[in-house]
Amino acid sequence: MLTFFEKELVEKHKWITHEEFIESVALGQMTPGPPIINTGICIGYKLKKIKGALVTTAGQTFTGTVLAVLLAIFYVKTKGNILIGSIMKGIGAAVVGLLLSIVYKMAKNTIQDYKAAIFALTAFFALGVLKLNPIGLILASGLAGFIVYRKKKE
Amino acid sequence: MILLKFCLILFVVNSLTIGGGFMMLPVLHKEFVEKYHWITNQEFLDAIAIGQITPGPLTVMNAVIGYKISGLIGAVLAMVSSYLPCIIIVTLACRYYFRYKESAIVNSSFQGIKPAVIGLLAAVAIPLGSTSIVDLITFSIAVISFVVIAFTRTDPTFVIVGAGIIGALFL
Repeated sequence: MLTFFEKELVEKHKWITHEEFIESVALGQMTPGPPIINTGICIGYKLKKIKGALVTTAGQTFTGTVLAVLLAIFYVKTKGNILIGSIMKGIGAAVVGLLLSIVYKMAKNTIQDYKAAIFALTAFFALGVLKLNPIGLILASGLAGFIVYRKKKE
Repeated sequence: MILLKFCLILFVVNSLTIGGGFMMLPVLHKEFVEKYHWITNQEFLDAIAIGQITPGPLTVMNAVIGYKISGLIGAVLAMVSSYLPCIIIVTLACRYYFRYKESAIVNSSFQGIKPAVIGLLAAVAIPLGSTSIVDLITFSIAVISFVVIAFTRTDPTFVIVGAGIIGALFL
């Protein structure tokens, strides 16, 4: 997906430079929300300011949203259908496997030292066992990250 | 009132979660399923599946949940409140790129949030797993999906479609 972007935007249309492209990709990774969308927003903003940011968001999300809504309509309408129920049962189990594989992949990339492992394990127990509020936990982990990692850089 | 709360939750989630669409799941599950009971565990899983097989980021699952809660308006508002924080934060970050990139506050807090959300995602797999894994067949589907997606480069869409077919035949 990113290589396609790079070809179209940088090589073919020359709308942005290679450096600007790399910068946008990096920015997509380090801002909250879906990285690809954020990279797009950043490129849109570089081209046409706020208007560009809005248009790229709409453009990138339109097809997926329309399809998802169509599927949602179908899903709500067929509620109670036995066949659809069986299909969704199979899919539900696969989604759990999918979630665990995301956890595995992300952990392999992100958890490189014991500090990161402690962050992950603490969050796991705080939500899984203590049932604390995840929004609070994310804020707390941000604060803890600030305290733990801030000094290292100086 | 429900819609307002719904939009507010999506706005907050998308302002906070770093590391990709899946990282919003723990918060969404807590708020939508456990706290407000707007949807069930099964419906939550179904929304994830629809979000995954449609093009674009997983965030479109919010449109599915929005549609379930209050029809087309819910779906549209879900998308607006999911992407609004992205537009605001990214345009600001883009404008002040170097200051943002070098910001000690942003970097160090994200360094804490990134591993933490992985732990949260692992924790949310427990209630979802106990809803969907009920017998040997569903257990096998979950294990096979995990292995295939974690260790091969197979697109998860194929795994989900395959699991649906197995479900139609055996469940």
